[in-house]
Amino acid sequence: MPTKSWLGTFFTRNGLFVGSYILAAVLAWIFLMIILPQIAMIDFSFSYDLPPSQQGGPEDVYTLANYRYFLFGYPGNPDGYNRLDLAVFGRTLIAAVFVTILDLVLCYPIAFYLAQVAQGRMARVLALALIVPYWINEILRAFAFRIIFGASGIINGILIGLGIIDAPIDFVRENVALYAGLAYAYVLLMVFPIYNAIESLDRNQIEAARDMGAPWWRIHWRVVIPFAKPGITSGCTIVFMLAAGALAAPQILGGPSSLWFTQIIYRTFFESVNWSRGAAYAVILLVVCTLFVLLMMRIFKVKLGEIGR
Amino acid sequence: MSAGVGIELQNLTVSFGDFVAVHDATVTIEGGEFFSFLGPSGCGKTTILRTVSGFQEPSAGRVRIGGQDMAGIGPNKRPTALIFQNLALFPLMRVWENITFAMEVKGKGKTERRRRANELLELIALPRQGEKYPHELSGGQKQRVAVARALCAEPHVLLLDEPLSALDLKLRQHMRTELRTIQQRVGITFIYITHDQGEALTMSDHVAVMREGVIEQVADGRTIYDDPATPFVASFVGENNCFAGRVAGATGNEGLVDTASGPLTARVATAVRGTLKQGDDAMVFIRPESFRIANGAGAGAGRVTGTVSGEEFEGPIYHLFVGRERARPIKVSLVNQGQARSHSAGEEIVLAYDPAKAVALPKGKLAAD
Amino acid sequence: MKLLTRLAVLAYLLLFFGFLLGPLVIMAITAFNSSSFPRVLPWECLTFEWFDRLANDSRVLEGLELTAIIGVFVVILSLILGLAGALLLTQIFPRARAAYYTIVTSPILMPGIVIGIATVLFWDRVAHLFGLGRDNVFYHGVFLTVLGQSSFIASYCMLVFIARLQRFDEGQVEAALDLGATHVQAFRKILLPFLRPAIFSAAVVAFLASFENYNTSVFTLGHFSTFTVVIAQKVRFGLDPSISALAVIIVTATLFLALLNEAYTTHAERHPGNPLRALFKGGISGFFASNPAAILAVLMLAGVAATVIYAARHDPAACKAEVLRKKLEIQQRYARPPTSQQKTPAPAQPRKQDGFGGVFNPQNLQTAPESPAPPPAPAPPQKPRDDGFGGVFNPQNLQTAPPKP
Repeated sequence: MPTKSWLGTFFTRNGLFVGSYILAAVLAWIFLMIILPQIAMIDFSFSYDLPPSQQGGPEDVYTLANYRYFLFGYPGNPDGYNRLDLAVFGRTLIAAVFVTILDLVLCYPIAFYLAQVAQGRMARVLALALIVPYWINEILRAFAFRIIFGASGIINGILIGLGIIDAPIDFVRENVALYAGLAYAYVLLMVFPIYNAIESLDRNQIEAARDMGAPWWRIHWRVVIPFAKPGITSGCTIVFMLAAGALAAPQILGGPSSLWFTQIIYRTFFESVNWSRGAAYAVILLVVCTLFVLLMMRIFKVKLGEIGR
Repeated sequence: MSAGVGIELQNLTVSFGDFVAVHDATVTIEGGEFFSFLGPSGCGKTTILRTVSGFQEPSAGRVRIGGQDMAGIGPNKRPTALIFQNLALFPLMRVWENITFAMEVKGKGKTERRRRANELLELIALPRQGEKYPHELSGGQKQRVAVARALCAEPHVLLLDEPLSALDLKLRQHMRTELRTIQQRVGITFIYITHDQGEALTMSDHVAVMREGVIEQVADGRTIYDDPATPFVASFVGENNCFAGRVAGATGNEGLVDTASGPLTARVATAVRGTLKQGDDAMVFIRPESFRIANGAGAGAGRVTGTVSGEEFEGPIYHLFVGRERARPIKVSLVNQGQARSHSAGEEIVLAYDPAKAVALPKGKLAAD
Repeated sequence: MKLLTRLAVLAYLLLFFGFLLGPLVIMAITAFNSSSFPRVLPWECLTFEWFDRLANDSRVLEGLELTAIIGVFVVILSLILGLAGALLLTQIFPRARAAYYTIVTSPILMPGIVIGIATVLFWDRVAHLFGLGRDNVFYHGVFLTVLGQSSFIASYCMLVFIARLQRFDEGQVEAALDLGATHVQAFRKILLPFLRPAIFSAAVVAFLASFENYNTSVFTLGHFSTFTVVIAQKVRFGLDPSISALAVIIVTATLFLALLNEAYTTHAERHPGNPLRALFKGGISGFFASNPAAILAVLMLAGVAATVIYAARHDPAACKAEVLRKKLEIQQRYARPPTSQQKTPAPAQPRKQDGFGGVFNPQNLQTAPESPAPPPAPAPPQKPRDDGFGGVFNPQNLQTAPPKP
């Protein structure tokens, strides 16, 4: 049996102590920290929200109640559907897509520039400049955007000073601050995979295309982008997942109209203290994100193994 | 230094899934001798080495070192030390730390180790180089450090995996002598694997020639060269001209083989004495240096005729190529006595050879196949 | 055409990095502005009081302490798990490799809150299994946070180790074994030293990731507060430039550490084997020779030291008094009875974005008792609503003549 002989070879190669360490650590990690918690969460999502005394008792059966709540709201809901939560969910996804596209458009040129055009020291300096914002954590980054987009912030100040507008624009209400903040937050995560992918592109291909008279946009469309597809896909995947699951930025930069799905989950957990429903919502978020990612991968024909960091 | 210890391989077979790397190998290696495994890439010699060191489990058969069966004994417990093909020196340790690593794992103190390192550095002729790091050494120096490191483990058997293949020619020749000297001084058993027969022949007491997992012949260098046991050995070691044909008659030590170049008399190889019968497919091997240009005319036993097809001047040796039907040209090597370019292409020529120097063997695979 | 593309590229680069670094610069500047709401304009006085305020903010300090503690545990746990994960990857049989790799890197892609929630719920179940109550370690914020963060931070560490392991010559371990080392000895003396740079990088990555983690921690911490949680609360509920001061400190410290790291790497590349010893042997000058990062690091240190010394002596009190006086003066002007405007009473309310309770809104500084409908804002023809600066810098408002109708 392959497993048995593999185990034998494994322990011969590593010795008893080291081998045991490796296996024990990995198994503990995979099961206690990755798989079982997810299962527990799914289990909770299919349970009623019972106080500890009643858990494990006769009332503790599996149910779809939490998921039904997400779709239909409380029993007897005159609206028919849980409009609030569903709307927030939909908006969150759309916004995440928007942020992803925004980031893609924003970052592709810089990734290309870094990978193919910039040389030596310049490249290192630019790369450093790219990384600097990530030294401060996302909260402070959101805070920075709060300052500059606020009514007394620099952007309004400049616009008013230039006479372009009369009164300060409420960027927060318009969600501009949030989108800008989110796009900003994930720039590095979009640039890096694309940069990696483009970097391995043989410069000669671009030269050849240019030689044949292709205009720059066609070179990108037909030569660079297809080659960089895995990088683009992984960048978009990461940004989408992070944007959909973002919590700090919406809390800090979001106005009243831009409630994020994660904020609902947060409230369900801490304010309503309904762990089962919170778990269900979390599962919904996870499943939809994963499905979305798989769908994108299928559409753009990229394999999971190619999405590395 | 520990005295040499013998190794026995008994019906050793090592297979990886369906692929048999070593098939039924049986060899006895004397203690204190310099023994080589010679063969082309993929013939199984590295596998044998790794099996003797303990990195590979045999699928069948056993390995005995000093009479003791090594089954189930790990590489760190065997009395062997292996010098890897890429040397595997520890880059983060200094030379003296590399050399005395075997002592370090036994818990010996620093002063003791330094002292021993200096002794070994003297042995390998690298005095006062102990503080350097491996990357600061040349190829030959690294080679010697690897040897010193292995020796420091006081093995009964030293295993060397094509250690000279990465060196240039001059260095290789120098190291050949070095290694042989060290071995004789230290007195332990060396098992050396290589695909370079020049190395095997010059350094070893005995050589085992291998092909595709099978040991074809084990003998001293002289015997391997003059009295090969199989066509493969005959064609792999040194250069040899092969004349394929049929046995016309065989009497004990002598045989007559009908070939495309005429009937040829030859000595029957010792290994197959008595087994060659009339009508058998056979091959006669005549070394290039065994030919001389005949003055008399005509063919006959002990003579070969052909047309000169080319010549090569290699300094002390002068090669003549004589074409023949449906076979590669015969290569004749003559000592340079100023007769260069004395033969023109297309010229008919008669070659003579001493039948005692020709070897007849049953037909088999050649090295070039 | 070439020139045009060059210019376009340059413009794009400037805009892009302006977008990227601009907010940081702005935030940094606000840390030195004495206005109590973080802003660059109007610039009031150069002050270092926010740094002071920050240093005395006990909540922030406690948060930092907790973050550091959690960070240490997370680093240790993640290194242990990540190393094991990487080693197993190199040895697992090929058919399982893809699935294995997917599983151990999946935490990176999972939304942080999902990890946090799953961790809390799982250990709740475990506690139930053992019949334990809520005061048990399985509910403890630090325990849960360390585990929750480590589940994906270990993946980061693993990736670092995998990269380093790819350049490892297995032959060295075999050579060590062959020379008599036990497996543990080979691991300790050959593999770990080789991995030392990776261990260091992974530890740094792990610590930083733990330090800045919010999404997962916010669920697992319970009633504890790490640094990020404290900051998030401050940002949402009590905005002041001490947060900007914090950002300045972090960026400066990180920049300094990055320079140090770069300097060390350059130095180590030149002296492989034992760079530390080379440092002591070669002396200081040897360290700095053609090592720009080292020079920059020292310059930075000097700059910071100089700033700190300056800050200790700098007293913005006079400046602030001046600013206050100017503002009061302007308020006096607007306190004069207005000429007729019957603009809506709306301007009376302090603007929502005005973070300091409308203190500097001219309306609220009336010296005369207020009528229910206070006079309209200054410069009525232009801006009936407060423009956020309290109208101070609107040219109209600085005229000595009464506002035009």
